[in-house]
Amino acid sequence: MSKKETTAPVVHKKPLGLRLHEYRGFYLMFLPVFIFVLIIYYWPMLGVRYSFYSYKLRDIHFIGLGNFVKLFGEKEFWSSFKNTLVISIVKLLLNTFVAVLIAIFLNEMRSLLAKKFVQTVIYLPHFMSYAVVAAIFTLFLSTSSTGFVNETLKSMGIIKESIDFLHSKTLWRPIFYLINLWKETGWGTVIFFATLSGINTELYEAGDIDGATRLQKIRYITLPALSNTIIVVLILNLAKVLNIFEPVFVLYNSRVLEVSDVISTYIYRKTFLTAIPDYGYTTAVGLFKSLVGCILMIGSDIASKKIRGRGII
Amino acid sequence: MKRKVLSIILSSVMAAGLLAGCGSSSSADGGSAAGASGGTVAEDGTYELTTLNIIVDGTVTATVDAGQAEFVAQWEKAVSEKLGHDIKLNITQLDHSDYSGTVSRTLTTGKPGDSGYPDALIMSATMLRQYQNTGLLWDLSKAYDNAEFQSRLTLPNVNLNMRTSDGKQYGFAPTYGNGCVTYIKQGWLDAVGKKVEDIKTFDDYYALLKAFTENDPDGNGSAGTYGVIAAGFGKQDEAPYINYMPEFWQGAYPSFYQKEDGTWVDGFTEQATIDALARLNQAYKDGLIDPDTEEAGTKQAREKFFSNDQTTSEGVFTYWAGTWLRTLTDNLTKNEVKTPSGDPESLVQLPPIKEIKDTWGGYLNREAPVWVITDDGDGSDAREQAIFDALFDTMLDGDVVQTLWTYGAEDVHWSTKAEEFVLNPGTDTEKAYSYADGEFHLKQSPNDPNSLWKKNHLDAVLVIAPLTNGYVADDELITEGNTFFTENCVDAPAAASCDTLSEAEADIVNLRTQLMNQAVVGEITPEEAIQQYKDQMGSTSDTIVEELNAQSAAE
Amino acid sequence: MGRKRKITLFDIINYIVFAILSLIIIIPIWKVVVDSFNAVGVYKFQLWPSDPTLAGYQTIIHTAKLARPFINSVVTTIVGTLIGLIMATLGGYVLCQNDMPGRSIFSYYLLFTMIFSGGMIPEYLVMKQLGLVDNMWILVVKHGMNVYNLVLMKNFFEGIPISLYEAAELDGCSPMKIFTSVVLPLSKAALASVGLMFAVTIWNDYSTVQIYITNPTQVNFQYQLRVMIMDGDTPTTAYKVSQNTLYYASIVCAILPFMVAYPFLQKYFVTGVNAGAVKE
Repeated sequence: MSKKETTAPVVHKKPLGLRLHEYRGFYLMFLPVFIFVLIIYYWPMLGVRYSFYSYKLRDIHFIGLGNFVKLFGEKEFWSSFKNTLVISIVKLLLNTFVAVLIAIFLNEMRSLLAKKFVQTVIYLPHFMSYAVVAAIFTLFLSTSSTGFVNETLKSMGIIKESIDFLHSKTLWRPIFYLINLWKETGWGTVIFFATLSGINTELYEAGDIDGATRLQKIRYITLPALSNTIIVVLILNLAKVLNIFEPVFVLYNSRVLEVSDVISTYIYRKTFLTAIPDYGYTTAVGLFKSLVGCILMIGSDIASKKIRGRGII
Repeated sequence: MKRKVLSIILSSVMAAGLLAGCGSSSSADGGSAAGASGGTVAEDGTYELTTLNIIVDGTVTATVDAGQAEFVAQWEKAVSEKLGHDIKLNITQLDHSDYSGTVSRTLTTGKPGDSGYPDALIMSATMLRQYQNTGLLWDLSKAYDNAEFQSRLTLPNVNLNMRTSDGKQYGFAPTYGNGCVTYIKQGWLDAVGKKVEDIKTFDDYYALLKAFTENDPDGNGSAGTYGVIAAGFGKQDEAPYINYMPEFWQGAYPSFYQKEDGTWVDGFTEQATIDALARLNQAYKDGLIDPDTEEAGTKQAREKFFSNDQTTSEGVFTYWAGTWLRTLTDNLTKNEVKTPSGDPESLVQLPPIKEIKDTWGGYLNREAPVWVITDDGDGSDAREQAIFDALFDTMLDGDVVQTLWTYGAEDVHWSTKAEEFVLNPGTDTEKAYSYADGEFHLKQSPNDPNSLWKKNHLDAVLVIAPLTNGYVADDELITEGNTFFTENCVDAPAAASCDTLSEAEADIVNLRTQLMNQAVVGEITPEEAIQQYKDQMGSTSDTIVEELNAQSAAE
Repeated sequence: MGRKRKITLFDIINYIVFAILSLIIIIPIWKVVVDSFNAVGVYKFQLWPSDPTLAGYQTIIHTAKLARPFINSVVTTIVGTLIGLIMATLGGYVLCQNDMPGRSIFSYYLLFTMIFSGGMIPEYLVMKQLGLVDNMWILVVKHGMNVYNLVLMKNFFEGIPISLYEAAELDGCSPMKIFTSVVLPLSKAALASVGLMFAVTIWNDYSTVQIYITNPTQVNFQYQLRVMIMDGDTPTTAYKVSQNTLYYASIVCAILPFMVAYPFLQKYFVTGVNAGAVKE
C-alpha cells in the first residue's frame, strides 16, 4: 500500500475494480478537500471570462480583447509591471545574499548557546505581520517629534532636518528593502542551516589537517555545499515574484507610487479605490499577471528539474 | 469500522458545514450581512416592506459601539406603528475612508433582493452625480412632492436644486450641506498677544501662524509647535476640495467647476492654483504647517488638534461648523488641554479673511449629502415608494422618528427623565449636570461617559423640516457655531460629472494629490506640478471639460 | 571534535557582528514594548518606561472597537487552524496512497491551483456569492485550504517508516485504522508544525480583511491596528491615554501570542520550513 509499490512492476497491482473498492474510504476522505478546492480555487477561475467584458456597475457586455488593448497602452500598468520585477527581484537577491552570509558566519560560531540565542532572536520578526512591521517602522521613521530615527539622528548631529523617509521617491525603495531584510532575512537562514548541518564534519577535519584557514574552509567547503540550496531558494521564489502585494501595500503611499506601485496594488487601486471601477479591466490585468506567473512557475519548474532532478510543483 | 465511518462523516460535515455555515452565521452576529431585504405584495395590491437594508457612513453617530442596537429597536417600533405592520431595519455602517469604493462594490456585485444589498443608502453629492444616470437609483421626485413632511419644509430649495434638467430627483437631502470654518485656540491667541478681530487678511493670518510656530504659545518649547493642521493640503476626493485650508487656497478651486458665464474649466491648471500652492509651499518651508497634514485623514487631524500630547500641538484648525465647535471644545476639555495660564483651552472662530470674501464671498457651504433609494428595475414603483415612506417620510416626521435620527435613542442618548451626572469627575474640568423630570436633555455618550452626547445623523439646525415636539438640545456653542457659519457662508460650486470623469476620476485625484503634495513640500515647484499634470492628464482633462460643456449646453 | 581551539580574531569579530545583529532585531521590539507602558511619547530608546502606565492595555480591553477585533482574531485563528489541519491531514494522507486509482489526478487537481488563479476580482465575486464579504469567517475559508501545507503533511506522512505500515497491515488493520491508530499518533510534531503555520498565517492576515471586510464588527486585530496607526482612526474611549501609548500597546497585543509561544515552539516552526523547502 505504500510507495514501495510505485517501483514494483505493474502486473503486481490488483485489478482496478478491486482497488477502487479497497480505497472507497479514501475517496470520501478526499471529498471535503475536493469540494473546498473546487469552490475556493476553481470557481473563481470561471470569472476570468470577465477579462473580455466591460463590467461597470451592473452593465456587463462583451468587448473582446478591448481590455488588453487598453492594458498594453497604459503607462501606469507598465510602470507597475516594471516595479514589480525590480522590487521583487532585488528583495529576493538581497534577502538571500544576507541570509547566506548570516548562516555561514553563524555556523562558525563556537559557542552553541550563543548560536542558539542568535537564531532565536533573528527568527522573531518573521512572526510579526507585515501590517505590524509597517506600523512599527512608520512610527519609527515618522517626522513627528516622537520619530525614533529622525530625532535620534538629529540629536547625534548627523542630520539637521527630519527626513521624510517613506515619502521620498529616492529613499522609499532602500527603506523598503531594509525593512524586509529586518523582517525576513533571519527566517531565510533556516533552510541554509539545515543544509549546513548536513555537511560531513570530516570535510572540515580534513581541511584542518591541510592547514586551511577559517575563511578558506568557508570558501572551499561551506559555500559549495550551500550553492545548490541557494539556487533552489532563488528558483522557488523567482516563480512567485509577481505575487508581491502585502509587503508593498502596507508601506506605499500616493507620493511614491511611481517607484512603489506593483501589479497587485495597481489592480487593488483600480478595483477598490475607484469611484466606478471597470471590473472587466482589472480582471484582465489579473489574468495577465496569472499567465505571466504561470509561465514563470513552469520555467522555474523546468530549471529546478535540470538542477536538482525534481520539480518544484 | 465505526471509527472510520465516524471520521468520514465528520470530515464531510466539516467541509459542508464550513461553507454553508459561514454564510449564514453572520446575520446572527449583528447585521454584518443583513438578511435579504424584502416585502410582500398584500392582498389589496399594496406592497408591504418588511425588511429595510440601509448603508450609512460615519454621519450616523449612533454606531454599534454607541447605542445603535437601541436606536434600531426604537426605530423599528415607531415605524412599525406608523406603517401598521412589522418592519426590520438592518444598518450596515462603513468606514469613512473608503466609503465610495465600498458602495460601488456593493452595488456592482449585488442586486435588489440579495442579502446585504441596500434598499437605501447615503451618498455624497459627487457620488450622486456619478450614479444618477446609471439606472441604479430611483427617481424620487414624485414621492418627494407628495411626502407627508412637505407642509413642514422650511428649506425646500436644498432638494429642488438637485433636480436634473428633466425634473428627475435621485437623492433626498434631509439637511443642508454645512461647511468648514477656521477655529483658533483662544489661549494661543492670548499668548502671542493677538486678537481674532485683527486677523483680516492673509498676511495677518500668516503672521499669526508664524507667531504660533515660533513664540511657543503652549509654553512647552517651540519644537513640535505648529501654526496649523488640516486633513491634507487640499482634499481632492472630498468636495469642496479647498475646505480644510481655505486661507491658503482663497479663490482657487483645484478641480472642475463652472465659471459664472456657465463654461466649465479645470481649475487645477489655473494660475490661482499655482499661487495657492506657492503659498502652501512657503508656509510649509517656514514650518508653519504640521507635516502630518500631508497624510492625515480628517479624524487624525482633529485628534492631533485637540490631543494633549506634549510632542506636537497646533493652534489653527479649519473644520466643520456648528456641532463641531462643541465637539472640538469638549475634546479639548476632556484631554485637559490648558492655556499657558492654566485655564481650559477654548476655541474662537475666525471670520473669513479678505481674500476669501473677495473671491467666494465666504466659507463654502458644500452640497448636501443625500439619501438615495435603489431601483429594482421591475417597472413598478411599489417597492421604492414603500422604502421612501418607511425611511425618508418618517425621518422628517417632526416627532418620534425624527427625534431618533436627530438625537438618537431615548434613554440611551437622550432622556426626559430626571437625571444627574458628572463629566470628567475628579479633574479640574469636572462638570455636573442635573435635570428635572420632563426636561429634555442629552445624556453621556454611551462609548465615552466623559462627554455629552451631541447628535445622531440629523443636525437639528441644518434639517430642512424642523422637529415639532420641542426637543431642543439647548447648546450655546452649537447655536453660536451655526449662526456664525450661516452668516459667513456661500454655496460651493456644483460637483462635475460626466462619463470620462467617472472613469478617470481616481487617476486624476491621485495625480493631483501627488503633485500637490510634492509642490507643497518643495520637491517640485508649483509651475512644474501643473505642467506635469498637463503633460500626463491634459488630454483627459480637455475631454472632460468638453463633455461638461456639451452637457450644460444641452440643458 | 571535542578539540579545544584558541579564540582567534575571527571569532571576536564574529561575536561582535552577531551581537550588533541581535541588537538590530531586539531594539525595535524592545522599544515597542517599553513605549507601550510609557505614559508619554518619547523618541528616545529607553530600557525601562520612564513614566509607567497600563492605560494602553486597559484602553484596549475596555474599548469595544479594539477588544472585538482581538476576539475576532483569536476565534478565526483557532477555527481556521483546526479546519486547515483537518483538510491538510485528509488530503495529505490520501495523496500518500500511491496505489489508489486517480491519485495522480487528485495531485494535479491540487497543484494546478498553485500555478494559476482566478485573480482578485473573480475571487471577490465568488466570496460575495458565498456571503463571505463583510464576514470575518472569510479568514477561515481563505486559509482553511492550503495546498502547500497539504503537501507538507503528505511529506511528513511519507516520512513514516514503511515497516510500520506493513506491520499494521499484517495485523489486519484497514487503511483507515492505520490512519487513526498509526499515522496520526506518529504525526504529532507534524501537526504542531503545520498547525503553527496555519495559525501564523491567519493571525497575521491583514490584506484579506482589507479587501473583503468593511463592517467594523467583523474586522480582525491586524486590520484595526493598521487603521488606527496608519489612518489615525483612534477609537473614542473613556480612557485618557496618549496616542503613542495606545499604538504601541496595540502592536504588542498583535504580536503577543506568537512572541510568547515562540521560544517554546521554535522547534516546530523550524521543522515546518525544512520539511517544506528541503524535502518537499
